[in-house]
Amino acid sequence: MTATTITPSRDALRPNVSLGQIFARTCTAEWSRLWSVKATWWFLAAAAFVMLALGTIAGFESAARPADLPSQPAWTEVRFIALPAQFALFSLAAISVTADYATGGIVPALQWTPRRTVLFFARFLVTVATATGAGVLVAVLAALTAFTTANSALTLQLNEFPGFVGTVAAVFAAGAAIAAGIGFVLRNTAGALVTLFLLMLVLPLVLRQFGTFTSAIAEILPGSGTIFLITRQVPGMTMTSSVMVLLAWGIGLALLGWLRLQRTDAHR
Amino acid sequence: MIEVRGLTKRYGSILAVDDLNFDVEPGKVTGFLGPNGAGKSTTMRMMLGLDRPTSGQALINGKPFATFAEPLREAGALLDPSFMHPGRTGRNHLRIAAKTNGIAMRRVHEVIEQAGLTGASGRPIKGYSLGMRQRLGIAAALLGEPKVLLFDEPINGLDLDGVLWIRDLLRQLADEGRTVLVSSHLMSEVQQTADRLLVIGRGHLIADATTQDILNGLGNRQVRVRTPAPDLLFTRLSEQGLAVERVDPQELKVANSTAEDIGNLAHTLNVPVHHLSEVSQSLEDAYLELTNGSVEHHSRKETP
Repeated sequence: MTATTITPSRDALRPNVSLGQIFARTCTAEWSRLWSVKATWWFLAAAAFVMLALGTIAGFESAARPADLPSQPAWTEVRFIALPAQFALFSLAAISVTADYATGGIVPALQWTPRRTVLFFARFLVTVATATGAGVLVAVLAALTAFTTANSALTLQLNEFPGFVGTVAAVFAAGAAIAAGIGFVLRNTAGALVTLFLLMLVLPLVLRQFGTFTSAIAEILPGSGTIFLITRQVPGMTMTSSVMVLLAWGIGLALLGWLRLQRTDAHR
Repeated sequence: MIEVRGLTKRYGSILAVDDLNFDVEPGKVTGFLGPNGAGKSTTMRMMLGLDRPTSGQALINGKPFATFAEPLREAGALLDPSFMHPGRTGRNHLRIAAKTNGIAMRRVHEVIEQAGLTGASGRPIKGYSLGMRQRLGIAAALLGEPKVLLFDEPINGLDLDGVLWIRDLLRQLADEGRTVLVSSHLMSEVQQTADRLLVIGRGHLIADATTQDILNGLGNRQVRVRTPAPDLLFTRLSEQGLAVERVDPQELKVANSTAEDIGNLAHTLNVPVHHLSEVSQSLEDAYLELTNGSVEHHSRKETP
């Protein structure tokens, strides 16, 4: 380990850098940041394993149905299995934000991109887009797996494909946005995951057991929205109310997360 | 150039940094000294826009750091070397930094080599020693060849080779005309490398002067004199209002005097002198004198 000389600056005459360029560079860096740690690959592997395994089971179950029943679209069967698998990708979204606070990585990150709004939107966009893209990809693969193992008991009707992709994408995008928003607000991995599971799964199911008032509360929780989009079977929920609830939570938590990043010290 | 104007940071009822005003000039290594909890790291974080000042501002090359489009080309900093994702490799850590500022990947390889991390750069950071993390943090600070560099305790964890490397690097960066601010609690190290010193205590600026001025300007020159007649000399020196301390049966230490004065007095008293010397003040002495009363956390001396 020996000292060497540093060269004089090569960038004395660099042209001005636009905000768009700064944002694009930050997104590129965020993309590298996400893929340069093993945790990302583990969460994706977990999501893929759950989706493909359940897709395979769904295919075998369909194949075992009586032959006189009409064939179902593979998309419909697979949509349901997004419900358990979504949590691997939502956890990925939350942890991709909170890990920087757990490790102190937010300090160099804000030295490299001190414009906090740029960092926030780049991190938010890359995280949500990655979780959504991965979710859609794995769901399509799970549908193909179900179709393959169903022995003609399931169909692959292309006219239903856009609706399937749209629904799955909406569920994963909304959930990932909520998870990332919680991460920015709480800055704590355990707290973010517990809050995520409460909002997305536990409270929407439990509150419905205690009467009208608590059911009304359950209807405005984001988990009710995603469950409706996947199952279309949540009492009191409609497509419009589900989308509105998810939008409100996604945008609201993103706004709170941005405010926390913008207004408070980097690592407190 | 770093300009700090009225910089203040309050955490609830605790005033961490109180109305700091100073400039850190290019072409010099400026040491940033102060006891634990004095506000050094908080001040550095505010310079980089990481912590929000309660009031005042810090400017890097005339602008707030957060307004730069390519901040790594303006200021590079090593703060806490543990602030890195342990699962990421050193090379990827630097690649991400380079991408944020549009820095060519060849520069990543250059700083890895410069920091002596070529063999380790492909390994996860969790396997790095503290010294290696320091080197990685310094590599990141140098990535954009910035005009301003801030190092918070850069010597921590470094082996002798690393200490020599840092010492040369700081000098070289300053000689290239860059602004270099280094905080350290290792007084001897700062005394060797810093041209100028900023001393803070309890958030206040205590001193802002050249290292030599601080060493010279505090008075407190001490003279050691060894004589077979210490009692007589002790009495006469005390009568003249000088602070005299007996350091062993035949040796006295006289504060705020000169060897000439003590020698002359001994001559007029006809007292033989076996040894006479002025004790040069170390930065450690000067620092302790400056920060006396500004230490937040005192340890208690156990008496047997």
